[in-house]
Parts: sequence; C-alpha cells; structure tokens
Amino acid sequence: MAVVSKQILLVDDNPLFLKLLARAFDKAGFSCHSANSGQGALAYLQTSMPDAILSDYEMPEMNGLEFRRSVLRNDRLKDIPFMFLTGFDDEKIRYSGLDLQAIDYVIKDTPVEVIIAKVNNLLHAVNKQRELSEMEIRQTVAALNIKAVPEKIPVINGLTIDFWHQDYQQIPGGDFIDFIEADDRYLFIVLGDIMGKKWKAWFFTFTYLSYIRAAVRFGVSDTDNSTASILQKINKVIYHDEGLRDILSSVSLIRVDRQSGQLSYAGAGDLPLLHYRQASQQLTQIDSSGLLLGLLPEGNYTEQDIALEPGDELFIFTDGLIDFAFADGKKSDYPAFAQKLQQHIANKQSFNELKHTLQQQSAQLVDDSSIIHIYKTT
Amino acid sequence: MINISKEEAAYILVDVNLTEANLSHSDQFKSELIALLNDKQRSIWLNMQHVSYVDSSFLGAMVAGLKHAIGMKRDVVLINLQKDIDDMLKLIRLDKVFKIYSTEEEAQQAIA
Repeated sequence: MAVVSKQILLVDDNPLFLKLLARAFDKAGFSCHSANSGQGALAYLQTSMPDAILSDYEMPEMNGLEFRRSVLRNDRLKDIPFMFLTGFDDEKIRYSGLDLQAIDYVIKDTPVEVIIAKVNNLLHAVNKQRELSEMEIRQTVAALNIKAVPEKIPVINGLTIDFWHQDYQQIPGGDFIDFIEADDRYLFIVLGDIMGKKWKAWFFTFTYLSYIRAAVRFGVSDTDNSTASILQKINKVIYHDEGLRDILSSVSLIRVDRQSGQLSYAGAGDLPLLHYRQASQQLTQIDSSGLLLGLLPEGNYTEQDIALEPGDELFIFTDGLIDFAFADGKKSDYPAFAQKLQQHIANKQSFNELKHTLQQQSAQLVDDSSIIHIYKTT
Repeated sequence: MINISKEEAAYILVDVNLTEANLSHSDQFKSELIALLNDKQRSIWLNMQHVSYVDSSFLGAMVAGLKHAIGMKRDVVLINLQKDIDDMLKLIRLDKVFKIYSTEEEAQQAIA
C-alpha cells in the first residue's frame, strides 16, 4: 500500500525563507503548499485540508494572529494543528496567542531540522490523542453491544445467504444490514447506507433500523407486506421526522417467501443489484425506481420479483465498493465493479473467496463497504 | 469553496471549486449553499465542471441544499457534470430530482 505523505501548509511573506522551509519539508517526506500571505493561505484552505499549518507571525496586511482567528472561525478548519513561527522570542506574542489555541511556537532562528522534528512530534501527539479518543468510543460501543450488522445469518431451504461488511478506517459508519424474521413465512433482507461517513452517519443507523424493523413488522401484521409499501411507509415517517432532517439513506429491501422461495425487491436510492444467471453466465443489472428515503414525500417505490434459478447468484451492495482510489484521484465506477465480479465468477471463485479478496484490499477502500450474497442452491 | 460567477434575475450561477468533493467539505458546502439560497432567494445553478469525484457525504449536502431550495419553491440545478458523476447520479435516481444540463445555455433553453 502506498504511504500517504503528510500535508503541511506553510505561510510566510518572506519568499526566500518560504522556499527554504518548503524544500526542507519536502525532503522530510511532507507534501507542502506554500502561501505568502494570510489571504493566500485562506484561499488555499477553501478547498484543501492540510494535516498541519505552520504560519509566520509578522506579516503585512493580515498578520499571523488575524490569520489564526479566521481559521478558528471555520468549523472545518479549526482543529487543524497550528504552529506559529516568530521572528524573535517575544513573550507578548505568546500571551496574545494563548486564546487562539496555537499549539506551539517556534522561533525562526531554530534550525530547520528542529522545526521539522517539532511538527512531526506535534502530529504524532495529535494522532495519538485521536486514536485514544476513538478507542474509547469503540470500547463504549462494544460494551453497549449495539451493532449495525447482524451476528447470525438466516438459514433458508434452497438459498445460501452471506454478507461482507467493512467500516471505513475501522470507524463505524453509515452502512447497515439486517435480516428480519417477520414471521414463520417471510424473511426480510435489508441493506442500507446513510449518506455520510464515520460516527455521524453511524449514529443514525439505529434510528433508521428501528423504523425499518417497525414498518416490516406492521406491514406483515397488516397483510400488506409489499416491499414497496413498506419503503413508502418508512419514507413518509422519515420525511416528517425533524430529527432526521437532511439525513438521507439508501435501502435495498428484499422479501423472501420461505414457502415458495420467491424473492421480491424494492429499492430506495440504492445501487442496481447484480443478478448472475448461470444459464447465460452473465451478470444483469436489476434497477429499481425509488428515491432515497427522506428526500421527497412520495418516493416512487415499486416492487419487482426476482426469479433465481438453481446456480444463480444475487449481489446487493453499497457505494463503497464502486469507489476506487487512483494515483490522480478517486472515482466512482459501477461498471468496473460489475466487471470485477463477473471475472470473479468466471474464475469459479466462491463468495468466501470474494470476501477474502475484499478483505485484503480493504485498506484501499474510500468509504464503508457492504455486500450481501444470495445463492440459489436448489 | 463556492463562488458566484454570474447573477441573473432567475438564478445564480455558482462554481464549485473542488476536484474531490468529500466529507471534509460537505458541512461547509451545505451551509454556504443554504446561506446563498436564503440570501439571494433565487435558484442556484451549480457549475460542477472541476469536480471529478463526489462522496456520499458531499452528495448528502447537495441533496440537503436541494430540499431546502424546494421548500422555498426554488431549485438547485447541476451543470457541466463529469461523466462518472452523471452516471452515478443516474444509477441512484438522483437525476429524477436534480435538473441536470450539459451547459448553462442548455439549462436556459430548457428552463426558460
């Protein structure tokens, strides 16, 4: 795996010093961006998010303090580790910067190697703190025993069901999976993806799951167990829930009839499913019509039957699997994933082997990723 | 992050100055978009020509902006989408809620 270099923003009105500093940081493995004024730095920060900022204190027009204040006013930028470079050891400057949460001060005469070492130490300390906080939350979550993916896989005659799920950067995110045994006859398979990443998305997965579980059970007890009606009921509730304003989710919902083996499906803003037909040895796309849950009062959900023949496979997955990182940036490429899957099946590899391959590549994932596999045996 | 490039009576044309639009930009983008809608009380046409990747957090912010606009009886229109993003929006049916055009001229003809 490629090592990602740390990005640093260097701000100084002295072009010679800036050049010297940038060269030294480049050599130390950093990826540098230089700005010769506070305004220039703020323009760069509009679209970039460096790991650290090292800024001169004395600058014409906007001095270091004003620049720091502007950074602090921006919620997206305020937590980037920040260090001041001062031309001399002025206690007054240090005191005036105390309320600005500058993490450290470096005197410009300090040898460049020492400045780099200080920045490295600062980044190390910040990362360590972040890891500790995340570990603490992860331990709390584990102690509460709340999970957005099931522990047990349902057993159904004639079908083999399995899934793979990976959180982005090992932090729980917005993907959720559930197998709801509504009654003796019907099983509902749910794959959802709250738009967003990490804890913020994860927090809402449980609200969504609660609504989905309730709607499925009410649907079955009302004898209207169509996947489209269930999605529309959930959509209506979520659309009117003030607490979920702007929290949207995709959902693929599949109902399995244990008696007939019939599969019925409706989707809400989800990616098309992929159906592998053994007879033709081809993957075909199954599109649905519904919109993301919570987007509009009417989501246009429709149900369709999926007829699986023995040897057929069905893949239901979230967008993390179609996002790829390349040297020149990231890209969403559904056909590329479909092709990868087709190749995998052509090589006679099982879903277990696919899980293994995905697991090995999980460091390259750019989002939470989940895939459910349904295989028709008889 | 977003810059007004043109103000018309019916809409504001805005450049989205990002190549990779992701989680780190989504909150700020959403608040800038909503503030602009409130301030100008006009539809916003987002020129997306520089954007080559949109993650689900950013997409969520775009959709939140659209919901806000719909509530004001205005719109968020997408212009100059790169092919990968256009394809992705179609896959998840967001082309049914966003008006999407190749150029500003095409949008003007369609909407006028």
